[in-house]
Amino acid sequence: MKEYVLDEPLTENFLKFLENFGTVRYLDNLRKPYFSFEKELFISIKGFAGDSNVEVRYKKEFQDLTGDYFHLLLYYSRQGPAGIKQLKGIEESLKAKMKIRMGTHEPGSE
Amino acid sequence: MEPGQQNGREGLIYLNNAATSWPKPPGVIAEVTKSLQNPYFEHGRTTAGCAVDYPTAARETLARFFHAEKPGHIIFTQNATDSLNLLIHGFTRNTTAPFHTITTELEHNSVLRPLHALEMKGALSLTTVPCTNNKVSLAAIKAAIQVDTRLVVMTHGSNVLGSVQDIKPVAEYLRANDIFFIVDGAQTAGHIPIDLACIPVDAFVFTGHKALFGIPGIGGFYLPDPAAIAVTKQGGTGSDSGSLQQPMEMPTRFEPGTHNYPGIASLYAGVRFIEEVGIDTIEQKAHHLTASFVQALKKTDTIIIYNESPDLPVVSFSIDGMDNADVGFILARAYQVITRTGLHCAPLIHRRIDGGRGCIRASFSWFTTMEECRVATSAIREVAESAHH
Repeated sequence: MKEYVLDEPLTENFLKFLENFGTVRYLDNLRKPYFSFEKELFISIKGFAGDSNVEVRYKKEFQDLTGDYFHLLLYYSRQGPAGIKQLKGIEESLKAKMKIRMGTHEPGSE
Repeated sequence: MEPGQQNGREGLIYLNNAATSWPKPPGVIAEVTKSLQNPYFEHGRTTAGCAVDYPTAARETLARFFHAEKPGHIIFTQNATDSLNLLIHGFTRNTTAPFHTITTELEHNSVLRPLHALEMKGALSLTTVPCTNNKVSLAAIKAAIQVDTRLVVMTHGSNVLGSVQDIKPVAEYLRANDIFFIVDGAQTAGHIPIDLACIPVDAFVFTGHKALFGIPGIGGFYLPDPAAIAVTKQGGTGSDSGSLQQPMEMPTRFEPGTHNYPGIASLYAGVRFIEEVGIDTIEQKAHHLTASFVQALKKTDTIIIYNESPDLPVVSFSIDGMDNADVGFILARAYQVITRTGLHCAPLIHRRIDGGRGCIRASFSWFTTMEECRVATSAIREVAESAHH
C-alpha cells in the first residue's frame, strides 16, 4: 500500500478517465465526496474528491509489473482519446505477463 | 472534552482497542520510562540491585489479578500468539502418538494456524465446533469428544462477536475426563473478572497490549502444572549456567533469554491501573458504551450488526451495499474514527456470519467516552445513509 500526495487534487475528469479501465465508485453525499477505483489484479485507489492524498494498493504478486500503473494513469489521462488507446495497449502486455505468471488463469478484464 | 482531546490527539476517535488498546494510562507510560532509566534487575543476570524486580513484581500482580495460586507459574512471552504456539506445540511434542483435538469456529488464527499446521503433519486430528447464538456450549464440546481426544483449545472471548464463552463448566468437564484445556483469554483479560481459582483450566493465555494496557511485545500464560507441556525453546536463564540442560523449575523452564523488561513493566503498571479503577467498574462502563453504540447503529436499517448483545466492548457490523474497506477508509480519513476492517484473523466465524467477506469492527476501552461513541455512530450512519441516497 502506498500513500501519494499529488501536486494537485484529482479532478472529475480524471475519475471519468478511470471509468475506461476499471470500476469507479463515487459517494458524493458524504462530508467529503469519496471515490474508489478498482482494477482487478492491478490496483485500487481510494481518496476524496478535492484532496491531493490518495491511497493506492497493489496486488503483491504483481506489484513488480503494476508498480507504475498509477503514474501511467495520471500521465495518459492528459492525452485524451489517444491516451486511452495507448494505456489499453500497455495493459494488454501487462495482462499477458500476468497470465504467464498465473499459468492458465485469465486475468480479469473490463 | 472533545473526542480525542483527553489523549492529546484532538478529534481522533480510536475504536480499535480489541487489536491494541490506546491510549495507555499515564502510569503505564511512566513505569516504562522509569524501567528504562535504571539498569534492569534480574536474578542471576546482574549485580545491579537498585532497580525494581519487574518480572517478580509483575508475576505477583498478575497472580493476584487472576486469582492464580502460583505466581511462579505465570510465564512471560511476546504475546498471546507466542503463548498459544508454545502451549499447543509443547503439548503435541509431549505425546507419542497422534491424538484428537477440539477447537471452535470462534478462534483466532493464533489457535487455528498452529492446530492446522499440526493436523497437516498428521500429529493430530481436529474437530472444529460451531457456535450457536454466538456461543459454544458445553453440550457441543461434549458431542465432539472422541475416545482419543486429549486437547481442547478455546477462546474465552470472541474478537469478532464479543461473546464470552462459559468456560467454567467446560473446564470442570474436561478436567474430570483428563483432557487438557487451553483457554485463550486475549480478549477477556482486563475486561471482565477472571477467577482462575474457581475455573480449573490447564493453561490460561493473556496478552499485554489489549485490555491489560501494556505495550505490544508482552503477553503470557498461567500454567499450574507444566508436566504436559514440552519445552520447545532452550537458552540462557541466568541460573545453573554450567549445565547444558534447560532448567525444569518454573518459570525459567519456559523463559530462556533476556526478558522484555519494558513490556513487563508496562504489564505490571497496566494491571495495577485496572485494580485501582476496579474491574467491575470497567466492565459496567463497557456494557453501557456498547449498548448505546448498538442502539444508535440500529436506527439505520442498512447497518447490519452481527451481535447486538456482545458481552465485551466489541461491535462488528457492515453497511449493506458498501465495501468494508471503503467504509473503514472513509471513517478514518473523513471522520477520524479508527476501526478495523476485514477478517480480524478469525476466518471461520466470518464464513458463518458474513460469507467470508469480513466486516468493520469498533472496539472500546476504559478511555473511550460516550461522546466519542455518539460522534462515531453519527459518522457511521451518515456513511450508510449516503450509500443509499
